[in-house]
Amino acid sequence: MESDEFRAKARAWLATVARPRPADGGWGTGEDSVAVFENWSAEEERAHTERIREWERLRFDQGWGALGWPAEFGGRDLPAYFEQLYRAEEAAFDVPRRTEIFPVTQQLVAPAVRIWGTPEQQRRWIGPMLRTDLLACQLFSETEAGSDLAAVRTRAVRDGGRWILNGHKVWTSGARVADWGVAVCRTDPAARKHAGITVFLVRMDAPGLGVRPIRQMTGGASFNEVYLDDVAVPDTDRLGPAGEGWRVTLSVLAAERLDSGSLGLANADRALALARNLGRPLTGGEVERAADLFVRTLVQRLIGRRVTEALVAGREPGAEASVGKLYATETMRRTSDLVVRLLGPRAVADTGEWGTFAWTEHLMGAPGYRIAGGTDEIQRNILAERVLGLPRDPSR
Amino acid sequence: MRESEEQTQLRGVLRDFFGATPRGFDKALWARMAGEIGVQGLAIPEEYGGAGFSFADLAVALEEAGRALAGGPLLSTVVLAGYTLLLSDDKAACRQHLPAIAAGTRTATVAGFGGGELTATREAGGWFGDGHADFVLDGAGADLILLAARTGAGTGLFACEAGAPGLARQARTVLDGTRPQALVTLRHTPLTPIGEPGAAEAVVERVLDIGRAALAAEQAGGSAHALDATVSYVTQRHQFGRPIGSFQAVQHRLADLLVEIEAARSAAAYAASCVAGPPEEVAGPPEEVAGPPEEVAPPPEEVAPPPEEVAGPPEELAVAAAAAQVVCSETFRRAAEEYVQLHGGIGFTWEHPAHLYLRRARSAQVLFGTADDHRARLGALLGLTEHIT
Ligand SMILES: Cc1cc2nc3c(=O)[nH]c(=O)nc-3n(C[C@H](O)[C@H](O)[C@H](O)COP(=O)(O)OP(=O)(O)OC[C@H]3O[C@@H](n4cnc5c(N)ncnc54)[C@H](O)[C@@H]3O)c2cc1C
Repeated sequence: MESDEFRAKARAWLATVARPRPADGGWGTGEDSVAVFENWSAEEERAHTERIREWERLRFDQGWGALGWPAEFGGRDLPAYFEQLYRAEEAAFDVPRRTEIFPVTQQLVAPAVRIWGTPEQQRRWIGPMLRTDLLACQLFSETEAGSDLAAVRTRAVRDGGRWILNGHKVWTSGARVADWGVAVCRTDPAARKHAGITVFLVRMDAPGLGVRPIRQMTGGASFNEVYLDDVAVPDTDRLGPAGEGWRVTLSVLAAERLDSGSLGLANADRALALARNLGRPLTGGEVERAADLFVRTLVQRLIGRRVTEALVAGREPGAEASVGKLYATETMRRTSDLVVRLLGPRAVADTGEWGTFAWTEHLMGAPGYRIAGGTDEIQRNILAERVLGLPRDPSR
Repeated sequence: MRESEEQTQLRGVLRDFFGATPRGFDKALWARMAGEIGVQGLAIPEEYGGAGFSFADLAVALEEAGRALAGGPLLSTVVLAGYTLLLSDDKAACRQHLPAIAAGTRTATVAGFGGGELTATREAGGWFGDGHADFVLDGAGADLILLAARTGAGTGLFACEAGAPGLARQARTVLDGTRPQALVTLRHTPLTPIGEPGAAEAVVERVLDIGRAALAAEQAGGSAHALDATVSYVTQRHQFGRPIGSFQAVQHRLADLLVEIEAARSAAAYAASCVAGPPEEVAGPPEEVAGPPEEVAPPPEEVAPPPEEVAGPPEELAVAAAAAQVVCSETFRRAAEEYVQLHGGIGFTWEHPAHLYLRRARSAQVLFGTADDHRARLGALLGLTEHIT
């Protein structure tokens, strides 16, 4: 299908199911949240997740979800960039904003199941994940295994047809609403660090699994600690071969970097709208910063498109996607810089005015993405060694 | 914006060609470039002796020229003068000048675009020019100078031949020796008008934007060379018993540079794609030729909240060219400085080419306006200035 035709059809469909956003983002009216990580209570998180789920299901059921997936998973077999085209259209409509758990489920976990899952697992998980009937979180990080993820200590011991998991995961986004967790576990402590790892999908309501929210620096709790005490997992929920878990993990991490290319764009656009609607003339310096931010949004979208084109051309953009993530986190920081400059005191003390103090959620949330999904420093390591081919740092 | 097979091929041919030839201008080389590869005629329509490819193809050549600091007066001749002729709508002038440009037998440049004190007056014997224009690219060597001069009816375009009476050209001592500049002075110099006198302002603006897009391609190429050369050096050079490229302080700087260069490439390619499709369309109205590649990248007015109400639709090429200059100027500056720095003492020597790239980077930063000028232009195009709700 031609892309123009596709866009027109997407627009037409959206118009039947959603309200269009007023021009210029409906400045001064409606939702003014620019939260990067939500500060919701458990009940609020559940309620919001349900709303987003409803939307995702509608989209899926009417043939506008899972665009790039084959029909057997409920998709339309379209080239990867059609998802971008769809999103560009969707942005003009008032639809629920997806929280991290949604891209994690649809863009990170489902593709990993497609690569590593058995046919039975694919049937059981992929469709429901794309339709968000099942939501999945990442049980990767531990207190002693962050950037050095292969140092995970959570143990999984085989017990007949099942495995018994014991350990402690941290920083798990969305654990309170997830149905499944993708757990990176050590199954062979005697093997080399990267060789003794196996990945499991764990039911988040399994006996012995406990979730405790962690309050993050934005004030709320969108990530959690997860305790695993003798949690039994059937061998049929093991993803990929035993001992090959590191490769499975890398698939997920690569997808995560790919997915980060569009981070921060919506808020950067919004900061530019703020610049236009400030109610006073901008100073020369402000105009320059705003123009710079505009240039970043333009370039970030172009970089995203190059990555998508690589996908379309059948190349794995792999490590190059780190470029997109680094670029995106910097866009988020510059958005903060511009907004503070523009708003002055109203950025730091709440006058009750629409669209002003709300930016504190961006200011305090943006630093999180320089850490989540592989820190900025780790992305640079990846670029240096895997893209530029520089000699390895002997200490790593 | 993905590179076509032909473009990749052209890139390979040019990398070999420029890699094996001296930097700067050389008449024999210029002729070979036209004869063997047809670089000058790439984007010139077939009816004027060119190959009729698009600006995006020419941009590949410019990027490779920028990578090697080669190509001589390609920017002034093919881009500035070539597009001035094409956009002027003066078919006779195109027929007269473009075939020689495409064939590599003549070079050309522009003067008085974005500054200068040139006037043209009509007398009984025809048009005559007076005044001066400074910083004219390749101004001392060009066979043909296309002038933007004030006339009673507004700005007009004129052709001035190299040997014309009253024409004086004083080469300036320049920071970047691969890119000569001159002060051009006219004293009652006979001129030939191009197109209708008075209607040249839009052409001049557009040619400058095309120049910015072309420069961005060169800058992306120069930056890529600086990164490649530096990566290979830090991989070989050992200190403290290990390659200096294994030190994380070095690795992260190069990783950051890679990110910037990816941004520069993207911005440059986008600007090139905004110049035009097939060159036949070049002379069409700007709105048509500047069509954004909207199938994949949402055009700016869609991705940012629409500025139409406040500023009118931003001109696609103007936005893209300004954005490309903001990104590519700074990227090339940084790449060239890292090139010097990470080579240590050897990088600071006259023999080492790193300084040539720093010279080019610094002079490119101001060639078609500074980054601040471009930001100010963007501010206006995006409705960020003079606006109170
Ligand atoms: C908002 C948020 C959401 C998250 N969500 C999830 C989730 O859903 N699931 C999950 O499993 N994890 C999640 N994480 C965890 C995240 O992946 C880790 O925090 C991250 O990988 C860094 O690990 P760490 O916190 O242990 O820091 P460390 O690894 O200890 O890093 C501390 C600092 O040292 C630097 N550093 C470490 N190693 C190197 C090196 N080799 N070279 C240079 N610098 C280095 C880091 O860049 C960082 O600046 C989340 C984190 C955040 C902030």
